[in-house]
Amino acid sequence: MGIIDLDGLEVRLGGRTVLDGLTGELQGQAIGLLGPNGAGKSTLINTLLGFHPPSKGTASVFGLNAHRDRARIREGIGYMPENDSFIGNMSGVRFVRYMAELAGLPAGEALERAHEALFYVGLGEVRYRQVNTYSLGMKQLVKLAQALAHGPRLLILDEPTNGLDPMARQRMIQAIKEIRKEGSIRLLISSHLLRDIDETCDEVLILKNGRIAALCNIEAERRANRNFMELETVGAIEKFSVSIRGRGCECACFPGGRIKLVMPEHMEARDLYVLASEHGVQIRRMNLRRDSLEDIFLRAMDNEGGRPENVSL
Amino acid sequence: MSVYKHNYRAYTGRVTPLWTRVLVLARYGLAEVWSSKISIGLFTISLVPFLVFLVGIYLANNPIARLLITKGNSPGFAIDAGFFLKMLENQSWFALALASWIAPRLITFDLADNALPILLSHPISRFGYVLGKFIALFAALSLVTWIPSLMLFAYQGYSAPQPWAFANLPIAAGLLAGGVIWIVFLSILGLALSSWVKWRVVATGIIFAAVFVPAGVGGIVSAILRTKWGLLLNIPVMMTELWCRLLRAPDPMRPGQAIPTAAIAAMLLAACFICMGMLNKRIRAREVVRG
Amino acid sequence: MNDQIIFEDVSKFYGEVLGVNRISLSIPPGITTLVGPNGSGKTTLMNLMTGLVRPSSGRISVLGLTPADATEFFSNVGYCTQFDSFPRGLTGWQFIYDSLMLHGISEIDAFGLTRESLDRVQLGDAAGRSIASYSKGMRQKIRLAQAIAHHPRVLVLDEPLNGLDPMARAESLALFEELGRQGMHLVISSHILDEVDRISDRVVLITGGYLIAEGNIHQVRQEVRDKPMQVLVRCDHPELLASKMFAVNHCVEARLHADGRGVFLRTGDIDQFYSLLNGIAVEGLIKIETVAPADDDANAIYQYLIGSNGSAS
Repeated sequence: MGIIDLDGLEVRLGGRTVLDGLTGELQGQAIGLLGPNGAGKSTLINTLLGFHPPSKGTASVFGLNAHRDRARIREGIGYMPENDSFIGNMSGVRFVRYMAELAGLPAGEALERAHEALFYVGLGEVRYRQVNTYSLGMKQLVKLAQALAHGPRLLILDEPTNGLDPMARQRMIQAIKEIRKEGSIRLLISSHLLRDIDETCDEVLILKNGRIAALCNIEAERRANRNFMELETVGAIEKFSVSIRGRGCECACFPGGRIKLVMPEHMEARDLYVLASEHGVQIRRMNLRRDSLEDIFLRAMDNEGGRPENVSL
Repeated sequence: MSVYKHNYRAYTGRVTPLWTRVLVLARYGLAEVWSSKISIGLFTISLVPFLVFLVGIYLANNPIARLLITKGNSPGFAIDAGFFLKMLENQSWFALALASWIAPRLITFDLADNALPILLSHPISRFGYVLGKFIALFAALSLVTWIPSLMLFAYQGYSAPQPWAFANLPIAAGLLAGGVIWIVFLSILGLALSSWVKWRVVATGIIFAAVFVPAGVGGIVSAILRTKWGLLLNIPVMMTELWCRLLRAPDPMRPGQAIPTAAIAAMLLAACFICMGMLNKRIRAREVVRG
Repeated sequence: MNDQIIFEDVSKFYGEVLGVNRISLSIPPGITTLVGPNGSGKTTLMNLMTGLVRPSSGRISVLGLTPADATEFFSNVGYCTQFDSFPRGLTGWQFIYDSLMLHGISEIDAFGLTRESLDRVQLGDAAGRSIASYSKGMRQKIRLAQAIAHHPRVLVLDEPLNGLDPMARAESLALFEELGRQGMHLVISSHILDEVDRISDRVVLITGGYLIAEGNIHQVRQEVRDKPMQVLVRCDHPELLASKMFAVNHCVEARLHADGRGVFLRTGDIDQFYSLLNGIAVEGLIKIETVAPADDDANAIYQYLIGSNGSAS
């Protein structure tokens, strides 16, 4: 039994069917939620939080029914919404403390945990200023702090790196990885940035038009892609690629000297270098294809009729 | 070990019972109320009539003091239901002023920056959220209405010859009931109207308007349709009627014009239901951000 | 243990504002330096140690005494604050003499002790002038004199070298060393990290109200394992030295010095490193000029553990 179970889940909002027959078990330590706008990601999150009753089927979190037992579920969830969501005239400490007390911590412990959470996300003296004076990055951090303060079992992050500058984004990703490593919290991260999901998640759920377009384990996919390679080259690329094909590789050329290829069993990297020196081609970058997530996503988007690919293990 | 890593650690301590979360909301709401200087000012001003009435009770019960102060040329006045009715009326105006200032403070700050999704993602339901705010508002308004009234009653019972208190117990019950009915109505009205408007000052104005404007409309209705039922929309008058009946004080209305108690009660209940409906709709609209 | 200053899980909150959170420390006799950015809780810690504030939770005992045994406690503790204010209208002599009288010391003894402490800080000739006429350095010295006049066993000094010229600094440091040798507990907070290195062996690192590290500087440095120790070796063939180190599979990183006559070597095992270096020097192929640890000091610890933004990395 996974942390989140969906069984024929259908949710209708304002007469429209937003989620249509979702079925699957999400078991990963960190689950990524992807999909184009309007696919139903926010609705799914809101359903798990108990805001929308399902019209058909069920959704369960920690084995509890998402709508019926929503009070108990919410006790164990930390939610970081995408939009601005705070009480402006409170200081950062007071806000996090308020949220922690609502989640069930006694007053003294709530204050202590609030300070700990703020220390952990990296908000220093700023925590004593009113939240409506914060910059965007600080607001994101305060949202993360209030989600962590009460020690949730499931952390739901909706676009956590939204609007952050590169340094702040790095820190946020680092914090997420550390939380994941600590082990007591599962994560559900919804994002448009494939790189973020790729760096932090091990399982990914892709929604399209309210249906599951793909549910798979990224780690397993990566391991399966051993023989895929990606090269960046400079020089006589056409002749080079012809030679490679002649040796039995499937390859595709892209502008800018990029070549993606699949090597057959008997070939190894040294052979590529031999061919390259024959044609006077420099190989400036060589790596095993890491963008399997991009592949999975594009494949999922192309799938017409939304026939779900359940490659979960 | 000399280097301490402060990583995230899980929480393993005590968790408070689910029903106390409503009180957390109430507590923070009250803290918000008391942080405003205007609230404190209004509270202080509302003490003034209380002191005046206190002195009145003292004078009524101490003829010597009365002689000294009024130098013999003022008629005695009795401390009866009419006296307490005046007190309740007075304090209720203060309650209105206070409610119109406090209620927006309780709700608007939460709505202004879209805090509801985060708030309600904690184990608190829509009803619990409103209940918490209601308790805070009710507590604040109680301090201005029935609590001082009952205190005056107790003082009167203490200073007057002994059987007075027992004989006039209905007055105390009336004070309590009358005060509670008024502040429950005001709280629900205040919270509902605050949730519909974005700016606090506007909300304050609307709450006042909601009490007075229907009175004008009711007057017009009465005049045009030549009926007494327009008076039902006149909240101050209706409340005074209600208090009269609760306190068993002499009825100021002409017999032909009297509106039955049931009608008044029905009107108040209807208003409350409408307000609760408004509040529910408003919160539902804001609890999740669409798209 | 009656010769330690002990903090047991001490927290201090000023309302919602955090002073220090869950600090457990045990300070032995000798010189201990308190290091941390501004606003990290150093002054709160010192106020707690000298009994000026009570902890919100936890227990403090100084040489077995608590502020509850007021007379004994305060006669054993001396505090030299960082704040530059004095009672108005007093001369230097009066300031010290009066505070001694407050301790209940007899007039004759107070006279002698005042003279002694003024001599120790070398302020004897200015004692008759009013403090308002003192220079900043002299005010610092008179504060120090006041703190040591009653011969306390514990001396807490908040930035005691602030405003002193180099001569006075050297004298004060010498005084501290002597007091430390006599078995007193000295707790000194300072931002000047190389002075910290020179006089003390033990360091307490604090930031954001949390204890980050405490103990012997070298021991703390060795425990920061994600940054291996760095040694600068100046020699005539730095690149040869580096390749020899790599050949025995020992170095983690080697970086040539800008002037080409030295190399920074990073190593995970400092003991083995020095034995290897010994062997290489004996071989005679490389002439070694100087060897110096490049980051075995308070500065490095500060950088690694606290970092440039003031919050723990």
